[in-house]
Amino acid sequence: MSAAAVSLAGIVKRHGAVTALAGIDLEVAPGEFFSLLGPSGSGKTTTLRILAGLEHADEGTVRMNGKDVTALEPGARDVAMVFQSYALYPHMTVRENIAFPLRMTGVSRRETEKAVQEAAARVRIDHLLERRPGQLSGGQQQRCALARAIVRQPALFLLDEPLSNLDAKLRVETRVELKRLQRALNVTAVYVTHDQEEALSLSDRLAVFMDGRIVQVGTPEAVFSRPATVDVAGFLGNPPMNLLPARLEAGRASVEGTSISVPSLAGLGRREVTLGIRPSAVKLAAEGLPATVTMCEALGEDFYVDLSVGERLVRAKMVNGAERPAERSQVRIRLEPDALHVFDRHTGLRL
Amino acid sequence: MKPSVLRSTVLLGLSLVMLLVWVFPVAWGLVTSLKTERDVLAYPPAVIFEPTLANYHDVFFGGASIVPNLVSSLIVSGLTTALTMLFAIPAAYALARLQLPFKRGAGFWVLATQMLPPVGLVIPYFLLLRRIGWTDTYQGLVLVYLTFALPFAIWLLVSYFEEIPREMEEAALLDRAGRLRALWHVVLPQAKGGIAVTVIFVFLNSWNEFLFAVVLGGNTVRTVTVAMFNFISLEQTQWARLAAAAMVGMAPVIALGLIAQKHIVKGLTLGAVKGGGRR
Repeated sequence: MSAAAVSLAGIVKRHGAVTALAGIDLEVAPGEFFSLLGPSGSGKTTTLRILAGLEHADEGTVRMNGKDVTALEPGARDVAMVFQSYALYPHMTVRENIAFPLRMTGVSRRETEKAVQEAAARVRIDHLLERRPGQLSGGQQQRCALARAIVRQPALFLLDEPLSNLDAKLRVETRVELKRLQRALNVTAVYVTHDQEEALSLSDRLAVFMDGRIVQVGTPEAVFSRPATVDVAGFLGNPPMNLLPARLEAGRASVEGTSISVPSLAGLGRREVTLGIRPSAVKLAAEGLPATVTMCEALGEDFYVDLSVGERLVRAKMVNGAERPAERSQVRIRLEPDALHVFDRHTGLRL
Repeated sequence: MKPSVLRSTVLLGLSLVMLLVWVFPVAWGLVTSLKTERDVLAYPPAVIFEPTLANYHDVFFGGASIVPNLVSSLIVSGLTTALTMLFAIPAAYALARLQLPFKRGAGFWVLATQMLPPVGLVIPYFLLLRRIGWTDTYQGLVLVYLTFALPFAIWLLVSYFEEIPREMEEAALLDRAGRLRALWHVVLPQAKGGIAVTVIFVFLNSWNEFLFAVVLGGNTVRTVTVAMFNFISLEQTQWARLAAAAMVGMAPVIALGLIAQKHIVKGLTLGAVKGGGRR
């Protein structure tokens, strides 16, 4: 097997009685932009810190470019990290901050100066070199942290929610730049985020974390269009996928007391499932699941329709121009076979 | 009158009263140090008198010169401060960073050592030092001072180190600094204020210390606080010279305080806020 840039095998991490990571296996290809996505407390940051060497795994091995680095100290791993808080050194100027990693490795003064200029220019803060971090805006601090990370051209680039302290507009701008930067440097990047939009837009591939395990790895498209478990389905997408408990029997599904014909699911036999349908795939039609419109919410380009199906809420996302149903009116939802995601009710796995 | 004007007037008045209370003894001492012994004893106190620098001349160059004692004090306080910081900084850093089971209780016990009445310890210390022949030696007095200064300094420094975000050190570790250089280049510069405050407290405490110095010292090690005591004798108290000696003894401390004023204020308020939140 060719050497993956990063590979984790059987990583277990416990904090006292709590198991933070329950066996993580992961491979990141060279040059890949790889995201660790998951809700807070799912173990993604712990995984990143184990990659950095800031924490040590209780079990398992960490390899980088084929070399076992499990026991190596952070400084010996040739990785650079951008922290959520940026962790800039407040008593040093921007120039000194960026130069610090080079100074620690004994690079000559002239080379350091050149590298600092280059790195600062790349993230466009070369006019701020004499300032201290306290005199920079949030976005500039973030760039300074990036420059400090790229200045010594690490083999691996770790990013821990680097955009979470920026305001919404800047976040989207920086996101694009981050990707451009990673492509230009052709460096492997592992990116931690709880923001699915960031993960979906930035990543070549991503891993979805839940409760200390990886539940799915794949390209953003694959993970989004074919979520492996009901948890991933409920986590990804904005608004999230509608999930309805149903009983399948002989090509019919009974949902909230209504039995409708769904011939495409006949092959699954008789079982308890959870049906998932993305809000954008909910279509109103003459036939289907009866529902009541509870609210319409306009959002500019499109609008949401909240529907109640029995006790359950189903949210539909419709493009402007579509007919807007009246509130409290009775409608029917067509369950298109292509748009249906079916999960086993007990295991949560995709069927 | 506007409430804000009233408020600042009252505050100003209060601070003047406070200032008077603090300044009066020092000012009285200063005035006394410029009088002749006869003017000092005049009753009612002489408000108008002919100032003289004779007392200062005496204190520096006379038979009872306190210059050797100033040197003694400087050696004792300087050594105590240097050794305290040498051990307290790494100890406090380790305490701040490591998760130790007894950490929470440790703070209390450190404070408890400060609550012990020193007079209860002076005799045991004297007996101990005499047994190893360290009475009236610099190493003896410094050793005893360390038993007070070190826990206090560690306790004070821990809260400053805890203030420094851990991520900053982690960043330094990833930047290949290693533990020691991370401590030196990243942690210590940020704890500068706390270190300054600690240095001053430790130095002040040992400079001002009297009880141990008088019991454990002697003819070789006689600090300035002890030497001043010599102006008070059975037959006569030389108030003017005592005052002059006190002024001279205070000078280094005041100078140190002025230099580090900024740090002290910042450090004290930080300590105040942290005091409630230490875990």
